[in-house]
Amino acid sequence: MTETLGFWVAAVVLVAASLAVVLTPNLFHAVLWLAAALVATGGVFLLLDSPFLFGVQLLLYAGGVVTIVVFAIMLTERLVGESIRQTSRFVFNGAVLAAAVFVGILGFLLQAGAVTRPAAVGDQLGDLGRALVGPFAAPLQLLGVLLVIALLGALYFARAED
Amino acid sequence: MTLPPLAYHALVGFVVLNVVIGMVTYVTLLERKFAARMQSRIGPYYVGPHGLLQPIADAIKLMLKEDVVPTTADRWVYNLAPIVFLVPCVLIFATLPFAPGLGVADLNIGVLFFLAVSSLEIVGLFMGGWGSNNKYALLSAMRAVNQIISYDLPFVFAAFVPVVLAGSLQMSAIVAAQQGVWLGFVPKWFVVYPVIGQLAFVAFLVATLAAENRVPFDILEAESELVAGFRVEYSGMKFALIQLGEYAHMIGTSFLAALLFLGGWLGPGSEHALVGALWFLLKAMLVFLVVTWVRWSFVRIRVDQILAISWKLLLPASIVLLLATAFWVAARGGDGV
Repeated sequence: MTETLGFWVAAVVLVAASLAVVLTPNLFHAVLWLAAALVATGGVFLLLDSPFLFGVQLLLYAGGVVTIVVFAIMLTERLVGESIRQTSRFVFNGAVLAAAVFVGILGFLLQAGAVTRPAAVGDQLGDLGRALVGPFAAPLQLLGVLLVIALLGALYFARAED
Repeated sequence: MTLPPLAYHALVGFVVLNVVIGMVTYVTLLERKFAARMQSRIGPYYVGPHGLLQPIADAIKLMLKEDVVPTTADRWVYNLAPIVFLVPCVLIFATLPFAPGLGVADLNIGVLFFLAVSSLEIVGLFMGGWGSNNKYALLSAMRAVNQIISYDLPFVFAAFVPVVLAGSLQMSAIVAAQQGVWLGFVPKWFVVYPVIGQLAFVAFLVATLAAENRVPFDILEAESELVAGFRVEYSGMKFALIQLGEYAHMIGTSFLAALLFLGGWLGPGSEHALVGALWFLLKAMLVFLVVTWVRWSFVRIRVDQILAISWKLLLPASIVLLLATAFWVAARGGDGV
C-alpha cells in the first residue's frame, strides 16, 4: 500500500519534472527541474529495493552532474552578458517520438503479463561488489577506459587555439 | 503498548530532528565562546547566566525580523532555496546511530547515504546564489560550485578508507570493527591504524573543512570581499534556516568523522546506550572544536591555491590511499580487518 503510494508520488514528480526540463524557457530552472527528476529516479530505485543504486544516483547524478551543468551555465551565462534562453524547436516531433516509445514499452509490458518481483536475498551489496571485481572486472575496466577517452576528447575540443 | 511501525518511525524521526536542531543551536554558542577564549575575549555573556540563553535570543530575534525579498529576485528559486538547503543537511542524521540501536535507521548503505544526501546541499546553495540576483551572491555560488567539484571526490575517497577497513557501509558495523584493543591499551580505532588511518583522517579533515566551506576554504563566504556570500540577500527566518543547515551539516560531518575514525560510541562503559551516546557526542564535539580551532587560526587561501591543493595533492593522494587500503585488506583475506 505505502509502496504503491510512494511509486505514484515518485512517478508524478518524475514525469512532471522531466516535462518541465524541456518546456521551461529558463535554462537555470531547467537544471533545477533536472535535479528534481534525478532525485525522483533515485526514489524509484529505492522502491525497487535497490538502496545502493539510490545512493549512487544521488551522489553522482543529483549531486555531481547537476553541479557540473550549473558550473557550465554560470561560466557561460549571466557573468558574460545577456542570459541564454532555451528554446525547444522540435517539440511536436519529440512528443511523437516519446509517444511511440511509450506505446512500444506499454505493448511489451502488456504482453509480458503480471510479473512478481523476486524478493531480495542475502547480502546484495557484497555480491555486487564481488561481482564487479570478479566476473565483471574486465567490462568495468573497459568502461573506465571509455570514460578516459571521452575526457581526453573533451579536452581536445576545449583546448585553446594556438 | 506497541505503536504501529510507521508511527514509531515518525516519532523517532521527530525526536531526533528536535535533538539535532537543539544541539545545532547550542553549538553556535560553543563556537562563539571557544573563539572568544582563543582571542582573549569573554564572548556572549549578558543573556542568561554566562550567556547561556544567547542562542535562544538569537533565534527569537531572527524569527521576529522582517523578511525582505529583493524585487529583482527569481522569486520561486529564492524562496525555495533555504528549504532545499536545509533538508539534506538534516537528513544526514537519519542514518547516524547515536548508540547501539539508538537512531532513526541503521541502513546497510549508511555511509553512502550520508555522502549522497550531503552532496545535495549544493543544489540549495546555488539556488540561493542565483535566485538572489545579486552579483556577490552569484560570485559566491560560483565559487561554491567550483570548490564542491574539487573536494567532493577526496571527501568520498577518504571516507571510504574506513569503509574498506571495516568491510561494510553500515555505520554500526564500522563501529563494531573498531572494537577491542591493541597491546592491551591502545583502542582499535581506525585513526590509530598504522599509517593508513592517520593519512586518511588528515585527508578527511581537510576535505571536510572544504566541504563545509570553513576557513581556510571559505572563499565563498569571504566577508571582506563578498559580504556574506550566497546568503547576503536573505533575512529573518530564511537566513536562520540557512545558518541552521550549515551548522547541522558541520555537526553531522563531525559525527561522521567520530564514527569512521574515532570509534563512534566505543569507550569505557559504552555497554549502556546513554554512556555510549555521551562518548559519541564528546568525540564529535572534539572534531568540531578542532575544525573551529583551525577556523580561528588560519587565514583564507586563494582560489587557485584551493584548487591546486585538491587536484594536485589531495585527490591523487586519496585515490592512492584507497587503493593501497584495498590491496592491504585483500592481501589479508578480504572482508575487512
